[in-house]
Amino acid sequence: MAEPQQPTAVRGSGEGGGGQFRNAVGGVLCAFALLLIGVLAFSIRLFSVIKYESVIHEFDPYFNYRVTQVSLISAERSSAASIFCQRMESFSQKKRKKNGVYEFWNWFDDRTWYPLGRAIGGTVYPGLTLTAGTLWWLLNSLNIPLSVETVCVFTAPIFSANASWATYLLTKEAKGPGAGLMAATILAMVPSYISRSVAGSYDNEAVAIFALIFTFYLYVKTLNTGSLFYATLNALSYFYMVCSWGGYTFIINLIPMHVLLCIVTGRYSSRLYIAYAPLVVLGTLLAALVPVVGFNSVLTSEHFASFLVFIILHVVALVYYIKGLLTPRLFKVAMTFVIKVGLAFCYAVAVILVSLVASSPTKGWSGRSLSLLDPTYASKYIPLIASVSEHQPPTWPSYFMGINVLAFLVPSGIIACFFPLSDASSFLVLYLVTSVYFSGVMVRLMLVLAPAACILSGIALSEAFKVLIRSMKFQRPSSDDDSSTEGDEVSSVPANSMKNQSKTSVKSETVTKEKPSKKNRKMDQDPEGSSPVGPTREQKLLVLPCGPSFVGIMSLIVLCGFYVVHCVWAAAEVYSEPQIVHTYRSPYGLHVFDDFREAYAWLRHNTEVDDKVASWWDYGYQTTAMANRTVIVDNNTWNDTHIATVGTAMSSPEKEAWEIYNSLDVKYVLVVFGGLVGHRSDDINKFLSMVRIGGGVFPNIKEEDYLRDGIYRVDAHGTPKMLNCLIFVETDGTGFDRARGYEIGKKHFKLTHFEEVFTTHNWMVRIYKLKPQKNRVRGKLKLKSRSKTSSTLKSGGKTNPWQ
Amino acid sequence: MAPAPARHLLLLLPLLLAAAPAGADDLVAELQSLRARSPSGVIHLTDTSVTRFLSAPASRRPYSVLLFFDAAALHSKPDLHLPQLRTEFALLAASFHDRNPGSGDLFFADIEFAESQHSFHQFGVNSLPHVRLIRPEHSTLAGSEQMDQSHFGRLADSMAEFVESRTGLEVGPIVRPPLLSRNQIILLGILFLISIPFAIKRVIEGETLLHDRRVWMAGALFVYFFSVSGGMYGIIRHTPMFLTDRSDPDKLVFFYQGSGMQLGAEGFAVGFLYTLVGLMIAGVTHLLVKVESLQTQRFAMMAVIAIGWWAVRKVIFLDNWKTGYSIHTFWPSSWRIWNHPH
Repeated sequence: MAEPQQPTAVRGSGEGGGGQFRNAVGGVLCAFALLLIGVLAFSIRLFSVIKYESVIHEFDPYFNYRVTQVSLISAERSSAASIFCQRMESFSQKKRKKNGVYEFWNWFDDRTWYPLGRAIGGTVYPGLTLTAGTLWWLLNSLNIPLSVETVCVFTAPIFSANASWATYLLTKEAKGPGAGLMAATILAMVPSYISRSVAGSYDNEAVAIFALIFTFYLYVKTLNTGSLFYATLNALSYFYMVCSWGGYTFIINLIPMHVLLCIVTGRYSSRLYIAYAPLVVLGTLLAALVPVVGFNSVLTSEHFASFLVFIILHVVALVYYIKGLLTPRLFKVAMTFVIKVGLAFCYAVAVILVSLVASSPTKGWSGRSLSLLDPTYASKYIPLIASVSEHQPPTWPSYFMGINVLAFLVPSGIIACFFPLSDASSFLVLYLVTSVYFSGVMVRLMLVLAPAACILSGIALSEAFKVLIRSMKFQRPSSDDDSSTEGDEVSSVPANSMKNQSKTSVKSETVTKEKPSKKNRKMDQDPEGSSPVGPTREQKLLVLPCGPSFVGIMSLIVLCGFYVVHCVWAAAEVYSEPQIVHTYRSPYGLHVFDDFREAYAWLRHNTEVDDKVASWWDYGYQTTAMANRTVIVDNNTWNDTHIATVGTAMSSPEKEAWEIYNSLDVKYVLVVFGGLVGHRSDDINKFLSMVRIGGGVFPNIKEEDYLRDGIYRVDAHGTPKMLNCLIFVETDGTGFDRARGYEIGKKHFKLTHFEEVFTTHNWMVRIYKLKPQKNRVRGKLKLKSRSKTSSTLKSGGKTNPWQ
Repeated sequence: MAPAPARHLLLLLPLLLAAAPAGADDLVAELQSLRARSPSGVIHLTDTSVTRFLSAPASRRPYSVLLFFDAAALHSKPDLHLPQLRTEFALLAASFHDRNPGSGDLFFADIEFAESQHSFHQFGVNSLPHVRLIRPEHSTLAGSEQMDQSHFGRLADSMAEFVESRTGLEVGPIVRPPLLSRNQIILLGILFLISIPFAIKRVIEGETLLHDRRVWMAGALFVYFFSVSGGMYGIIRHTPMFLTDRSDPDKLVFFYQGSGMQLGAEGFAVGFLYTLVGLMIAGVTHLLVKVESLQTQRFAMMAVIAIGWWAVRKVIFLDNWKTGYSIHTFWPSSWRIWNHPH
C-alpha cells in the first residue's frame, strides 16, 4: 500500500508510442480471444441439441419451464386449463410482462399435489424464470420470434459464456489479463460446470454460477478500486444471485470471511470498508425483497456472520480513524481505555447472542448448512437429505471427472497467489479453500468448486508459461556480469519487476491510473519471484535452461490437450443425455426411445382437462408440464404423507390400490416399465423406495413382505405380496425382463379394477384407467352396499367400497 | 437351595443365583438392584443368571430384556465395531433409565462369549454383532427376537426405534454425554474470554502466526489435499484405510475397484499425486528460477517433468481402472466406441 507513484513513473519512462501500439493490439487480441471463448463455452454445450434435439432435459427443468410460461402468460387467463393452449402472441407484450411478474408472485398451482395444491410464487427462486422471460421478451421485441422453449433450452449455454467472461474479469483483477484469459478458457469447458449447463438443462445453477462469479468480480473490483459505483453494482449482482439460487448463502459467508481475514492479517483499508459495508446493507435489504428469502435474510444464522463482521469492521474503522487523529502515545492510552470498556460491553452482547442462538434447537442453522459444517450431521440426523445421490461425499475419481487435470494445477495456483499476496489473490485462495472443503462434503457443490479451480489453474498455467517462455526467449549469459550482451531485454526486466513489486499498490489507485499499468503488465513478462529486491540493486534475469523449458512447455500443452479431450468427451457422451429421450445400442444399431413424450402427448390429447393422473413423484413435473394434467405428487417433495399414500397404493393389491386412488379422484395411473427395452431406472427398480416411504407413514406396508431372503426380485421367486401388488401387475406383461435379466414371475392375469388404456411403442410407459364402480343388482345387498359405499368414500375410502 | 429372602440374595447374588426359584416381584427387584449397581445401567449376565432371569416361565417373568452379545476376543476386529456398539448400547440403556426411572418393564443386559458359551448356544447365536429382545411371551430363549442388522445402522437412535416399536415403551431422546463436562466448558469459556484482549493486542501489533503467509499457504494446501483425496468421504462413511483380501488374509487391498466407494489409503495416495504435481510446477516457477546453477536447474526440471508425467499417467490409469470410463477423442460418428454403462 506504500509508494503508489512508482508504476506510473516507470510506464512513462519505459515505454513510448510503441508501447501504446502494443497495448492496442493486445486489447484487440484479448477481445477477440474473449469472443472465441464465449463461442467455445456456448457451442461445447450444444452436443445435446445436435445429438438429440432442442428439448428441455430431465425433471426439474420442466417445472422451471412451466413457471416461465406462467410468468409470461398473463393476468387475463380465463381458466387454468388454457394456460398452455393459448397462443402467447395474443397478448400485448408489455402488459404481459408486468402483469406476469405480479401474477407470478401470487401464483397458486392447482395442477399438482392434488387436492392440496402448491403456492409457487413464494417458494421458488425467480431469477432463472425472470431471466429467460426477459430474454424471450427482448428477442420478441426485436422481432425475433423464438418459442419460450427454445429460449429456455439455450439460456444455460448463453450464461456459460457470460460466466467465462466474468471469470476473465475476476482473474484479471487478481493476476492480470494473461491469467484471466487462461482461466476463462478453462472455465468455458470445465466438465463439472458443463454437467449443469448443457443446452436444455434449464435449472437455477445455469444462471447462478454466472451470478456467483460476477458478484465475486465486483467485490474484488471494489476492493481494488475503492469505487462506490462498483460497490453498488456488487449489491445488485448479489441481489440477482439471491433471486437465482439458494447458494447465495455461500457468498454472504465467504465475503465476510475474507473481510475478517483482511482485518486479522492487518490489511484493513478504506477500500475494504467500501467493498463490504454497502454490500451488507444494500444486499440484505434487496435480498429481503425476494419472497422465498424474505425475513430469512435477517433471521437465520446463515446471515449472522455478515452482520457480526459488519460490526467488527466498523469498530476497526473507528480505531483506524482515531489512530489518525491522536498522537501515538495518546492513542495507546485511549486504546487501553477503550479496549477495557468495549470488551466488557462486547462480552455482554456476545453472551446474549449466544444464549439466544443456543435456545433454538438447531442453533438457528438449517439442516443443509449444518451438514456442511459438520459433515457427519446429515448422515446422522437427516437420512432423507443424506440419501440423495448428489448429497453424497465424492470420492477421488469424482474430482478427476469433474475438474480433471485442474486437480494437478490448483496447488500451483494457490502458491502463485501467495507471491505476492494481494487482497484479490487472498480472496481467490479463500474461495478455493472453502469451496473445495464443501465439495468434499457434498458432490453437488463440485459446481461451486469448478470456477475456483479454473481460476487458480489459469493462474498456475499462466505463471508457468510465463516463466518457461521467458526462458526460451532470453538466456542468462554464461557469466553472471551481464548487461552488455543482452542489454535491451535485461534492462527492461528491472523495470518490470519494479512494476510487479508495486502490483498491490497499484490497486489502491484510481481506475484511470490502474488501467494503463495493467496493460503494461500483460504485454510484458513478469518475473514474480523478484519482489523483495530493491529497484536500485542490479536485477538478475530469472530464467531456466532453454531445452528443459521447451520440454516443459510441451508437457503442459499435452496436459491441456488431455483436458480438452476429456471435456469434449464428457460434454458429448456423459452429460448430454436429455433423460426424456433414451438411446440404446443394439447389435442392429442405435435406437432412440421417445416413449415418455409419446405417453404425455397421449394424456394431453385423450383425457379430460381436469383428470388426475397418479404416478411416482419422479414424473410429476413432466406430467404437469408436458401433458398439462393434474398430478398427485411431483418432484418438489414437500409432503411426505402424500407421497407415502401414492407409494402405498403402488405397493398394495389391485383392489386396495383402486380404493386409495379413487379416494384421491385419480382417473389414470401412469407406470414406467423398462423390462422390454432394458431401461434400468423404471418403477420396478424404484419400487423399494415406494415401499419404504409408504411404510414410513402407513405401518401396514412392510418392507420384509416384498423381499425374498432379503433380496428384491420379481421373477418366479418373488414373494406373493410382491407379485400381487399394483406396480407389478401393471408393469408386467412381457415375459422376460431385460432390465433385470430374468423371466418375470407371474404372467397372464386379468385386471379387475384397472384397464389398460395406452402403452407406448416400446412399452416403457403404460397408462391405466380406473374402472368405474360396477352396479350391484342383487336386491338386498344393493341398498346396503350403496349406503356403505357413500359413507366410506366420504371418510376417505378406508374400507372396501366393493363389499 | 431354599428360597431365601430377597435382601440376602441380593448381597450374595453372584454365588447364589444358580437355582433359586423366586417370585416375579423378586426377580424384578433383583434386576433393579443389579442395574443400580452397574454404572451404565447394563446388567452383566452369565450362564447362571441367564437361566435364572430368562429361562424362567413367562408367568414369573413380566419384564423384557434386551441382551447384547459381546465377545472380548473380537473387540480388535475393526469391521465388527463391537466396542462402539457396546457403548451405544450403554447409552441406550442410560437414556431409557433416565426416561423411565425405576422401570421394571425393560432391562438391558450384556453377556460375554468366553464366560457364557452355553448361553450363546442356547440362543443359537453364532455371529456378532447380535442383539436380542426377550419378551415375556417368548417361551424359549431361541424363540426370542433378534435385532435386525439395519437397526445398528444409526447406532443408539435406531436401536431405540427397535425397542420402542417392539415393546411399546418409550426410550426418549438418546442422551449423549457431551465431549466436555459443563465445568470444563465454563472454564474454557472464561479462558477464551480472558485471552481475547491479548489476542487482539498481538493482532494489532502484527506479530502472530496469522501474519505469516507460509502458515496460510500450508493450511490452504492441506485443505486442498485432504478434500481432493476424498478424506471427507472417509470421515462420513467411516471407510477403513485398507481391507484385507478375503481369499488371502495376508494380502492387503489398498485400491477398491468401482467408483461408488473408496478406501482411505487409496484416496490419500491419489490426493498426494494431485498435490505433488501442482507443488512441483509451483516449485519450478517460483523457486527453481532463482537457483544460480544451470546444472541444478536442468537436472531438477528433468526430474520434475519425469515425475509429473509419471504421476499424471498413474492417475489417469487408476481412474480408468476404477471407474471403467475410457476417455477418448470425440468424433460424431463414434457412437459405437463408447456405450452407456449398463
